Amino acid sequence: MSNDFYKTSILPFAGIIIKLCRAYTNSQEDFEDYYQEVCLQIWRSKENFREESEWSTWVYRISLNVCLTLLKKKKNNVQHFVSDTVPAEETETNYAFSDESLNLLYDAIRKLSEIDRAIIMLYLEEKSQKEIADIIGTNSNNIGVRVKRIKDRLKKILDGKIN
Amino acid sequence: MEKSIENIWKDGFLKSDVLIAPKINNLYNQKSIHIIDRFKRMFRINLILIIVFSFLFLIVSYFVGIPIMGAIFFISLLVLVIINKRLLNSLEHIDKGENSYQYLKEFNQWIKKQVAVNKRISTFFYPIIFLSFILGFWFKDAQGVFLGERLVHKILINFPDTYLIFGIPLIGIVIVVIILSLLAYFGGRIYLWDVNIVYGRIFKKLEELMADIESLRS
Repeated sequence: MSNDFYKTSILPFAGIIIKLCRAYTNSQEDFEDYYQEVCLQIWRSKENFREESEWSTWVYRISLNVCLTLLKKKKNNVQHFVSDTVPAEETETNYAFSDESLNLLYDAIRKLSEIDRAIIMLYLEEKSQKEIADIIGTNSNNIGVRVKRIKDRLKKILDGKIN
Repeated sequence: MEKSIENIWKDGFLKSDVLIAPKINNLYNQKSIHIIDRFKRMFRINLILIIVFSFLFLIVSYFVGIPIMGAIFFISLLVLVIINKRLLNSLEHIDKGENSYQYLKEFNQWIKKQVAVNKRISTFFYPIIFLSFILGFWFKDAQGVFLGERLVHKILINFPDTYLIFGIPLIGIVIVVIILSLLAYFGGRIYLWDVNIVYGRIFKKLEELMADIESLRS
């Protein structure tokens, strides 16, 4: 990949990719693999960008689609398709943010289904219901209801853990 | 008072150390670990191996004296390669920049088509390979006579009452037809069984993802 492309077209949106990859992985090794793969796929697919949407939205789509269909390495070296929900205690201790509340929130998000993870991440990134529906490829009318249900579930998981 | 998840998110990412991108080295030359790219690689390698094997088998069969078997084998494998090359080409058209539903749907459709086509091929492929084996040895030259005719001659010496149809023992025809039917019946099923062992988890996960999105579309 041309270093310029990475610096100008990917790095400014690294935050989006990092946040998303963190939601679909449970270890630093997996996270780095996912991040690298997403960057590789953005570069490989760049000719398909038709400027019908914002570059950031398109980056989000690629990142999400890649995360949903990646072969994930497990500790026993067996590769599994996409990330299953893994209990928080299986998360590597060195794979954490300095903010404890954020860690707890991410652990809770990882307990959701893959699609719910995508929806809540987009919601937390302040995307509108229409934008979320466009990225996922669904009907915007149902997004609000689903977001509310996901938030309720997250609150239940986090209940009493964060002040 | 408990913080809302929106505030946890915002406050958590205000710190500068949380969004540091991992170092990327030589990304352009990295081997993709993505499932579609893996399929592409696997397909390409398989097709190349089939082509090499079919050529080698054709040459060997000529020298061993069973060219009919080699030729049928070669043509069958070549048809298999052409069909699967077309499937591989359609895999190239899946756009990862589409919305997730469209992307997953296209990938799922490709997998289903691939499985359906190869299941049908297997129904014909195994019987054809068996038939090529029988024909190859039947017409193998055995001191100026076909091996099959020589075998029939020996059978007639030991069992003079053997019923023949076009010079072939009826019992032989019945056995071959039964084996061909069994291979045709089980060929597709063996393929499905094999595919499910290797990719069952992928198929299941794709179905789940699709079902989840479809529940939002209704």
